[in-house]
Amino acid sequence: MDAKKRDIDVRGRKVALIEAGAGAPLVYLHGFADVHGVAGDLLPFHQGLTQGHRLIAPAHPGCNGSDEFHQGNRIEDFLFHYCEAFDALGLDRFALAGHCAGGWIAAEYAVRHPERVTRLVLIGASGLFVPGEYIGDIFIHSQPDHGTSLASLRRMLFAADDAPQALRYYPDGRGDLDDEMRRYGMLRFGSAIGFKPPYFYNRSLVDRLYRATMPSLVVWGSDDRMVPVAHGKAYAERLGNGSTLRLVAGAGHAVHLEQPDAVLAQVNPFLGA
Amino acid sequence: MSKPVQLFCWHFMAYPYLPADFDEQYDSGWITVPNTLWDREKSRGLLNEYIDQLAYADTLGFDGMVLNEHHQNIYGLMPSPNIIASALTQKTKNGKIIVLANLLPLHGNPLRVAEEYAMLDNMSDGRIIAGLAPGGGQETFNYNTPAAIQREQFWEAVDLIHQAWTRDGPFAFEGKHYPLRYVNPWPQPVQRPYPPVWIPGSQSRETMRQVARRGYCYFLSSRLHGGAIAKAREEFAKVLEDAGSKYDPFRMGILMSVYVSETDEQARVESHEGIWYFLKNCLKGHLRNFHGRSLTFGPGVPNMELADYRRVLENTKPGRAMLGDVDDWDALQKAQSILVGSPETVYRQISDLVRETQVGNLLIQFHLGNMRDDLARKSMRLFATQVAPRLRDDSRIAFAGHFPELAGTA
Repeated sequence: MDAKKRDIDVRGRKVALIEAGAGAPLVYLHGFADVHGVAGDLLPFHQGLTQGHRLIAPAHPGCNGSDEFHQGNRIEDFLFHYCEAFDALGLDRFALAGHCAGGWIAAEYAVRHPERVTRLVLIGASGLFVPGEYIGDIFIHSQPDHGTSLASLRRMLFAADDAPQALRYYPDGRGDLDDEMRRYGMLRFGSAIGFKPPYFYNRSLVDRLYRATMPSLVVWGSDDRMVPVAHGKAYAERLGNGSTLRLVAGAGHAVHLEQPDAVLAQVNPFLGA
Repeated sequence: MSKPVQLFCWHFMAYPYLPADFDEQYDSGWITVPNTLWDREKSRGLLNEYIDQLAYADTLGFDGMVLNEHHQNIYGLMPSPNIIASALTQKTKNGKIIVLANLLPLHGNPLRVAEEYAMLDNMSDGRIIAGLAPGGGQETFNYNTPAAIQREQFWEAVDLIHQAWTRDGPFAFEGKHYPLRYVNPWPQPVQRPYPPVWIPGSQSRETMRQVARRGYCYFLSSRLHGGAIAKAREEFAKVLEDAGSKYDPFRMGILMSVYVSETDEQARVESHEGIWYFLKNCLKGHLRNFHGRSLTFGPGVPNMELADYRRVLENTKPGRAMLGDVDDWDALQKAQSILVGSPETVYRQISDLVRETQVGNLLIQFHLGNMRDDLARKSMRLFATQVAPRLRDDSRIAFAGHFPELAGTA
């Protein structure tokens, strides 16, 4: 599989993206433990999405080489950024998938422009306010404990804090400088869209989900400690044509990194790959 | 002869009644420290005891009293320093009242800060020094102020306050964060053109540039040793020159802690409990890295531009020791931030520091942690009578020598 990195210009802002595969367009919006959010390149899960699709994975503003979008300080600003980015890419109708904050943006886009989204995939997506079911505070857990330990951050993002990928991307002490900068860029982006209210939700979104009438799929790690499974249930219940929540047993928030094959086994048939 | 070094008494107003095993039992003195530890009975009168210590500093001839703003913590019980400042306007006669600072992004609208400082300036007849700050890591968690836009919000708020004091009202302020159709605050401050503005920074070039451009005073909030302070002063002097201005010792302030007693030995004995309470309890969650989680600075508080953060990563090692990580008197002495000893010892240390750094505003914390009232007052008294006069005499001559334009300002 040939992945290509390129930068596009979106009204004067540089957007870094990775494209791979051929076929109907599939836009993937990343989360924290994800391509662009910490990894510089596509991971096995994303590579698996290219079966029958042209995958387009843009990096959020400030992430992995994309310019920061200084004018933006509300989710609305960043949604418009994506309207402009999709226009710049010449995308008319496309499938849309997202993880974590990327899933939030995907859902917000889908309720605004349902005619442009052919299919919607949400994986561990934030964005909803579910009473009593708090989305985790990734910011406080990004501050090292005892000077160097990120164990609690790994525990929030993965089923086990000693999982190889957790240690690869969120090591104690100082990790790879470029990984650290990607993580920082994603936290900065997350702070702009998802800190107020705390954390990563738009209270109005749940009542707007009915507008997303395209076929949709909701996938969650059964042990997600960043976005509780209750949020997956709420998405599945409230999305326009109803949807089914697919739980992946034994996986955490980064379910697509931890068990890529199990997630692809749900996502690819749904996308018609 | 130059104006002498300005000596200000800073009170942090710590919570002093934590259990003896606090450090073993609790992760942090900040944000998540359970307020069930607040002892209502013991704490009656505590804030007044602290206010009275500051009023005592005024009678001892300190150049002013310093307050700060912190929230949901045991390090400082002044979520609203303006309320304490209000009391000081009535209880003190001479010294400046330095509020360092009001944390602007935490206010619904910074116009309120312009108004309150103007009130305090009137109530104190022009003794207010107005500190303005964006808040650190703790504040993003306490008030959910998004770190990514904290600084942008802050500088816009600074502009609004500055204009509220200097432009004829009413006028419209076309802010991105604080748009106002009518800016026209009453009362106006006593001091013309506006009360002195001090802005804290921790060596960020950008903060220095903004402070220089606006003609404010730069307060170095990092606890550094003399050499590092001198380096920061050189940087700030350069930034001032680039802005068409010139450094003098009163363009900058630094923070230190002091305990003075009759002898070095006695000073250590008397201050031991208070200092170690401060280091291990108050700094846990703040300037302590090896125990608990420091929230002051880091990736979870993403208030720095990407390029600045990369520079920090390239120039620092993870998990470095901070002030709260020192474990004995020798290490504490090396850190040069908490000076403990006889009047002679403390005089020599500060005198050396002033000579090395050429900074003219010394903001000195006397009450540390759970220090007893009588000990804090004794240390302040010994400092005021046996240390301060010598520092003033030295600096009158030294500053005039280094900064000829200050000659005759004494």
